[in-house]
Amino acid sequence: MAHRNLLYLLSLKELRTRYKKSVLGWAWSLFNPLSQMLIFTVIFIYVFKASAPIGDPSGVKNFPLYFLAGVLPFNFFSLSVGVSIAGVQGGAGLIKKVQFPHEHLVFSVVIAQFITLLIEMSLLTVAMAVIGHNILPWLPMLIGVLVLLGIFSAGIALVLGAANVFYHDVNYLWGILSQLLFYATPIIYNPANITLRPLVLIANYGPTGSFITAIHNIVYDSRLPGPGRMLELVVFAFGSFAIGSWIFNRLSPRFAEEM
Amino acid sequence: MSRDNVLTVEHLTKSFRLHSEKTNSLKALIAGKKRNRYEDFLALDDVTFDVHEGEVFGVIGHNGSGKSTLLKCMAGILQPTKGSVQVTKRMSALLELGAGFHPELSGRDNVFLNAAILGMGRREIAGRFDEIVEFSGLESFIDSPVKTYSSGMYVRLAFAVAINVDPQLLIIDEILAVGDVTFQQKCAEKFVDFRNEGRTIVLVTHAMASVKDMCDRAIWLTHGVVTGEGDPAELVEAYTETMLGGRDRGDGMSVRRGSGEIQIERVEMFVGDSEVPVKRFRTSESIRLRLHYSARKSVPKPVFGFRIEHLGGTALTSPCTRDVGLLPDSISGDGYVEVTMNDVPMLPGTYDLHTFITDFNRQHEYDNVQVALRFDVMTGKPYETGGMITLRPQWQIRS
Repeated sequence: MAHRNLLYLLSLKELRTRYKKSVLGWAWSLFNPLSQMLIFTVIFIYVFKASAPIGDPSGVKNFPLYFLAGVLPFNFFSLSVGVSIAGVQGGAGLIKKVQFPHEHLVFSVVIAQFITLLIEMSLLTVAMAVIGHNILPWLPMLIGVLVLLGIFSAGIALVLGAANVFYHDVNYLWGILSQLLFYATPIIYNPANITLRPLVLIANYGPTGSFITAIHNIVYDSRLPGPGRMLELVVFAFGSFAIGSWIFNRLSPRFAEEM
Repeated sequence: MSRDNVLTVEHLTKSFRLHSEKTNSLKALIAGKKRNRYEDFLALDDVTFDVHEGEVFGVIGHNGSGKSTLLKCMAGILQPTKGSVQVTKRMSALLELGAGFHPELSGRDNVFLNAAILGMGRREIAGRFDEIVEFSGLESFIDSPVKTYSSGMYVRLAFAVAINVDPQLLIIDEILAVGDVTFQQKCAEKFVDFRNEGRTIVLVTHAMASVKDMCDRAIWLTHGVVTGEGDPAELVEAYTETMLGGRDRGDGMSVRRGSGEIQIERVEMFVGDSEVPVKRFRTSESIRLRLHYSARKSVPKPVFGFRIEHLGGTALTSPCTRDVGLLPDSISGDGYVEVTMNDVPMLPGTYDLHTFITDFNRQHEYDNVQVALRFDVMTGKPYETGGMITLRPQWQIRS
């Protein structure tokens, strides 16, 4: 049980030290998605003259909220993995000097990011309510999907965090990969508008696409994702976590030597 | 003594791959060919020993002998290539103090975090928190971020946490010399308490004096191989001999540091009024030391001093000219400093004399010679069987 305490304290450290020495502190975690929202709204509505997707059956038509509902969970995923990669690398001092479960370096990051995500999503819920769209009845389902997303992210973070110890390229590769994933996920566009078959498949059934589509269903369309979709998410989440844990556990005994 | 083994190391072998250049990039992996450019380096070769419950066990060896690798294998940080390490009791390995301290967090938060890293539960830490803070002596700073701490405070807090983890087996990497004298005293007491409570300590060090003083048993590592095991005093003696082996006794002057404007060229020792240099004298004889110096340029207010150490590493005395206010305005050219010491109360043994020349503030070192002279003290009067000096005791038994 002692190590559960370590996980708790590491997560707390993650949260407490993140915005130390910055005047605006926690507000920064909001500025990033808000500025993204502003940029993409201008491009989407005014440059491409596209119209926002219409929620079915909610009837909501609001690009900024559609965007935020997608980008907040996506950023959580992308940051969880990115910060974990750096976190394992940054834990070198500890890994080389103390024996402790290395995976906690990853889990603490994911937990801290998850708490941030929950705060952001509650603010989004408030924003939805302001335009007259109440998503409170769907909240339990939303939390369930977000938890699955957290488990999925942890799995990817474990693999890449471990791989990065051996090949630092992983860190840079992730920068590019997460950008690709961003565009392969229906965040700034409506997947119904794409016609190219492979792109439709990726957007709808790629791992991040699946999660974001399910979240859009819940908070934007006001309907539950179908059982097929939910099964898909469970498989992605636990598959990623199982493979991630297996790889991480295989590699972590060699960390101290490699760092 | 057939006590339970707390730590069993069997046929422990650890090899490292030495790459000509570390290949932490995919390009090197893909290019493939270059990958084979490595050598296997055997840091530990078939090391076997065990540590019994309640003993203080020393591991000695020169730099690069595999001490640190052994330590990391024992602590579970490195995985053995072959063989095994078995630990049966709660272990705490102190390889580095304050590993994992976060500068922005307060001392309090860091105590909790550090103790958790060392494997303690939250309730356990809370229960010991006051003790930890008291031991560190940092009560009034505990809520300030540790980035505001001095390095001494930092280490004290880290040590206080580490020592209070309540291990049954404590593995320590030559970090006994932390903090000021008072804190060192506290640490020494804590170790003695540990030993008296029947806990086990493994001490990895090259501070020979502490091995001799504290350990019940020791092993000696040379290039990853155990070259000796058993009585610490004998091992330290053998080790010291080997380390200094091949060197002409007394004509050391080989390890020198300092900026070099003025240097000690040689040291001579005389007994009584004789002008014949010697390398031995008897207990209670009067001796004179002559430190021959040579200054390349004029050096303002130099302070001359020396230190006498027992072969085991314990310092006996370390006087300097500033102690007695002997302060020439400047010195240039060649000359010597003569020191007379009457009725020297040193007991038989082999001793090393180290010399130093510093500036007035003793901040800047012009010259420092390790083992400028090695000499023997032979049996004289009074005769005593233990220790390094005699206080010329007058005994009386009354009834």
